[in-house]
Amino acid sequence: MENQRTISIFGEIKNRLMRTTPFLMLFTTALFAFSCKKEKEPEHVHSSSSGSVKVELAHEWQSISAIQDLLLDSNYVHPVTDDTFNFTTFKYYVSNLKLKKEDGTWWIHPESYFLIDLTDGSIADLTLADVPTGNYTDLELTFGVDSTRNVSGAQTGALSLTHGMFWTWNTGYIMTKAEGISPNSTTNSFAFHLAGFTGANSAVATVNYHFNDLTLQVTADHTSEVGLVAKINKMWDQLQLSQHNNIQVVNTTSHMLALDFHGGFSFDHLHN
Amino acid sequence: MRFHTFLIALASLTMLVSCRKTGKTEPVKWGLKVPAHFPEPVYKFENNQQFQARFELGRDLFYDPILSLDNTISCASCHSQTHAFADHNGAFSSGVGGTLGTRNSPSISNLAWYPSFMWDGGVNHIEVFSIAPITNPLEMKETIANVLVKLNAQETYRKKFRKAYNATTITDQKLFQALSQYMAMIVSANSKYDKFREGKTSLSAGEQEGLALFQAKCASCHTEPLFTDFTFRNNGLDATFTDLGRGHITQNPNDNGKFKVPSLRNVELTYPYMHDGRFFTLSQVMDHYSSGIQDSPTRDASLADGIPMTASEKQKIILFLKTLTDYALMADPLLAEPVH
Repeated sequence: MENQRTISIFGEIKNRLMRTTPFLMLFTTALFAFSCKKEKEPEHVHSSSSGSVKVELAHEWQSISAIQDLLLDSNYVHPVTDDTFNFTTFKYYVSNLKLKKEDGTWWIHPESYFLIDLTDGSIADLTLADVPTGNYTDLELTFGVDSTRNVSGAQTGALSLTHGMFWTWNTGYIMTKAEGISPNSTTNSFAFHLAGFTGANSAVATVNYHFNDLTLQVTADHTSEVGLVAKINKMWDQLQLSQHNNIQVVNTTSHMLALDFHGGFSFDHLHN
Repeated sequence: MRFHTFLIALASLTMLVSCRKTGKTEPVKWGLKVPAHFPEPVYKFENNQQFQARFELGRDLFYDPILSLDNTISCASCHSQTHAFADHNGAFSSGVGGTLGTRNSPSISNLAWYPSFMWDGGVNHIEVFSIAPITNPLEMKETIANVLVKLNAQETYRKKFRKAYNATTITDQKLFQALSQYMAMIVSANSKYDKFREGKTSLSAGEQEGLALFQAKCASCHTEPLFTDFTFRNNGLDATFTDLGRGHITQNPNDNGKFKVPSLRNVELTYPYMHDGRFFTLSQVMDHYSSGIQDSPTRDASLADGIPMTASEKQKIILFLKTLTDYALMADPLLAEPVH
């Protein structure tokens, strides 16, 4: 056996492999198969013990007299400052969605990055797949993109740099981008790019929404719904367009706008 | 039983071969080699493992003006191998339509060791560095979305991205990762100084004296072996600032007028000097430090009295600085513009 020589490479490999046990070969096969698979997209584990959760974000504008759905290219009057807003762009990031179970443990949505764009209408639906069945009491989410993804190089999907939501000159995602026109602005336009993922003036914040005395029931092969309402007008409660119409740096004013923007969101409803 | 065994072996081989086809499982034998006297690099090619096909793709992109609005400006237009990957000795570089930038194009060697990029350190990762010059209206004036449209329209680039990243569609992530594969391989570590550090050559008496003077007077900021400590400092160029530098990034007045300490590797060839290219000779730079420091609230504390140097000491320091010129870098065919 030691001195055996074969002419073809395949024959040589065959002979060598035949000396080993079939078990070892199965193992080798599995190893190669595994190393190939690593390059592919992770497959979703679908089992009957999981359902889906739709997080509905309804964007509204509250004026003195009415609550309206927030749409681009429509006029809205601010209830506090009396400024008129007409949005041409409204986009923002939410990330790292989590659901809290009745027993206090958390289910963490993997690779959880969403770019909300009001070009698509006043309501945005975020679908969370493969949520384990059970009862949930809280939703947690992060406004903006966590610091890790701001310091880890080129990303993909919602975090691709093609969405116009990334600062080229001062690395980091634009967490919230609101642009439009207003007669109250000295330039007749406004642009607020809220960014910064670290430090005292960061625009990133993690917020918890408790479902009060309600319970989100996730059942097999079924989609349950969590509804949040966002009062977009809250963002400008403390700022007049005649004073500030363009903020594209990280400072105390951008931080204030970010906090007021986050503060406009509240828990609204569940559909089981 | 034996037949089954053979089949399994064949299946294993087939999978091995099918993996190889993607060009992704076998790293190239070459890659970033860390010089013995260098620290560990910052960029470790996480999620962007080094392969020859990726490097070559990045090199094609670096030299291709397709990245600019009107296909006239490439990365190499302002970062030329013949000038140690700095611009061709102008204070400001020309962008699309001949517009001039506002800061001097720096030499971009040894980027794998950089914790931040740009004169003001605004960019935090090599993979998101290129988006700035590509989209800057004074430079390449292009959008990333349009670059991707142009690249995806070319069969040759589609093939190269498929070979390098197994990507059927060219995305911005792969574009920036490919550029990083090339840029991180621009390593300057073959100067006379490096050979001296490796014990392969000796410095002349004048160069030795220059090194000792350099270590006493300059090395606290221009730290060996990369010849920068990557901090941001106001080196006393102006009493008032037209460019806030680091202060623009941090929005902190204490950072106004500060710029990144530049590496001095290849400094003989990368004139003019300073963030605005105001000095054309190393003698002018020496004179600035010895007698030209302007006071301001953020002026570096170490320069309160300037850096006292005699005329002879300045000449010796310059003599030493010329040992940092890396002729091998400028002649390296691996980094040169590819001929297709």
